[in-house]
Amino acid sequence: MSLRQKFLTVWVFFIVNLKRLFRDRMALFFTFLFPLIFLFVFGALNRSTSLSFKVAIINESQTIVATEFVKNATANKILKVNSEVKDFAHANQLMSRGELDATIELPKEFGEIKNGLPSGTAIVHYTQNNEQAAQTITSILDTQFQEINAKFTRMPKPFSVTREQNNEHSLSTFDYTFTGLLGFAILGAGIFGPMNYFPELKKMGILRRLHTTPLRVWQYFLSAMLGNSVSGLLSIALMFIVALIVFDLKVIGSYLSLVPFLVFGIVLILGIGLALGGWAKNERQAAPLGNIIVFPMMFLSGTFFPRFLMPEWLQGITFYIPLTPVIDGARMIMAEGKNLIDIWPQLGIMAVWLVVIYVIAFRVFRWE
Amino acid sequence: MSNNILEVSKLTKKYGRKTVVKGISFEVREGEIFGILGPNGAGKTTTLEMIETLRPIDSGTALIDGIDVSKEQYKIRSIIGVQPQSPGFQDKTKLTELIDMFAASYGKKVDARSILDQVDLGDRANSFVENLSGGQKQRFSIVTALVHNPRVFFLDEPTTGLDPQARRNLWKLIKQIRKKGISVIITTHYMDEAEVLCDRIAIMDRGEIIALDTPKKLIKDLLNRGFKKRQHVEQANLEDVFLDLTGKELRG
Repeated sequence: MSLRQKFLTVWVFFIVNLKRLFRDRMALFFTFLFPLIFLFVFGALNRSTSLSFKVAIINESQTIVATEFVKNATANKILKVNSEVKDFAHANQLMSRGELDATIELPKEFGEIKNGLPSGTAIVHYTQNNEQAAQTITSILDTQFQEINAKFTRMPKPFSVTREQNNEHSLSTFDYTFTGLLGFAILGAGIFGPMNYFPELKKMGILRRLHTTPLRVWQYFLSAMLGNSVSGLLSIALMFIVALIVFDLKVIGSYLSLVPFLVFGIVLILGIGLALGGWAKNERQAAPLGNIIVFPMMFLSGTFFPRFLMPEWLQGITFYIPLTPVIDGARMIMAEGKNLIDIWPQLGIMAVWLVVIYVIAFRVFRWE
Repeated sequence: MSNNILEVSKLTKKYGRKTVVKGISFEVREGEIFGILGPNGAGKTTTLEMIETLRPIDSGTALIDGIDVSKEQYKIRSIIGVQPQSPGFQDKTKLTELIDMFAASYGKKVDARSILDQVDLGDRANSFVENLSGGQKQRFSIVTALVHNPRVFFLDEPTTGLDPQARRNLWKLIKQIRKKGISVIITTHYMDEAEVLCDRIAIMDRGEIIALDTPKKLIKDLLNRGFKKRQHVEQANLEDVFLDLTGKELRG
């Protein structure tokens, strides 16, 4: 067979199996919808953790100052005022359930004129667990009062502080989460796909039948790589669209670096799936070994929480897990604007793993 | 070289200490239908699998068209067609797509539609295999094994589980295949099948060939040894009744 004929084989297998994927609802769900569900869950979680405090304001004063204060506090972005709460009994109930972080009390005499100036003390009530929230709220209020005070008393201010944003981009929690979820999508499609599908093909004697033809293992693998790259990229593209529109994902780096890098990652991780599925005689053999490999990798590579939270020695070890450089590299390109040359350490580790994984995959492959 | 398409000599297979094929030798002539008969566990399937390159040969040789099976696997695979005992195909794939895949495995492009027409499956071209009947599936499986015009075609118990109509239809198909010049090697449990189809048969038991000749000659030899069967006066049997009542045309 000529080389052209050999690649014709790969091409036909790739096209037919890709068509098949789009007829398989289960596969569609796991390839496209499943990662999106995770994206929505984790994206929403990250949103609610942006800094804000849920407070109630109980205003017992009739003064204009007090009314103004409530109006300003309601407009404040950091304070989320629950305006339904009118009395302490209700506020305490919500605080004990954790639905409120603190209650701000404006006493009766708040804003009354003393010594020619309006004055008063607001009280922040909080429960034992909300010490930090109460402190922050107190200092926010303090700042506001200082501004008001400054209008009434024309004292010079020797020291002051002001803020200025610099142009450096830093990673938001979502940027971390998103590259982790990319890793999760690659892991799911690359490993669970072949791990479940190959044993089924063996059970039905389909691979055995192909074995009677001159088809070679590398042709079969190559068509799987093409297929997984296309479906993987489509799935990731979908995640990007949602992340860009719904969660304001910021991508600094170039997609021209990102796409080939992700294809490399997909092919690398697929190798693990091909090795597992190609080796296993049936599902019962594949599943336990698959789980032993997949779950530690998932948690140690920074899919769901960043690796910098780990103790240093663990970070050192997990740096070399196959999925880690995929996630790190994707993040460095997307969020830090690095190019493929900058991330050579990641590419190097991936290349070594690529060779190791595929040598194993070819060696352990069984047709039946 | 003679006109033998397959030459098997002292073929042996061991599993552990057990020898399942004990140094068997036989030839298959070009263009003949050759049957291998024998009870379960006689070593028929193992013998076929060794010749088909699916199992390593422990000792002895098998030559197909003069090519050594154990030395040139890929050359052998491109000149043989194999119909396994229970053919399976991937689901959610159209018949034409499966034909294309099999042709591609041999590095070939074919007109899938006309191939399906040859076995009356043209109108099912866009169906999936899981929606075919048993007989249709069997016919489909046979054409997928012939997409590359092999020299030899192996069938392992092809009619097991088929109804009488589908069996007869399959016999017709196998005879047509032979007419194209393809040599056929078939294993079966059914004696009527062997008698109708096979030019010569080998009877295997416990890993050995215990008889090899034309069906007629084997029967004649038996009679010459003084065998007498209880005489039947009926000119028909129950299968004739069944076919007379339900008709010979193919179902499903």
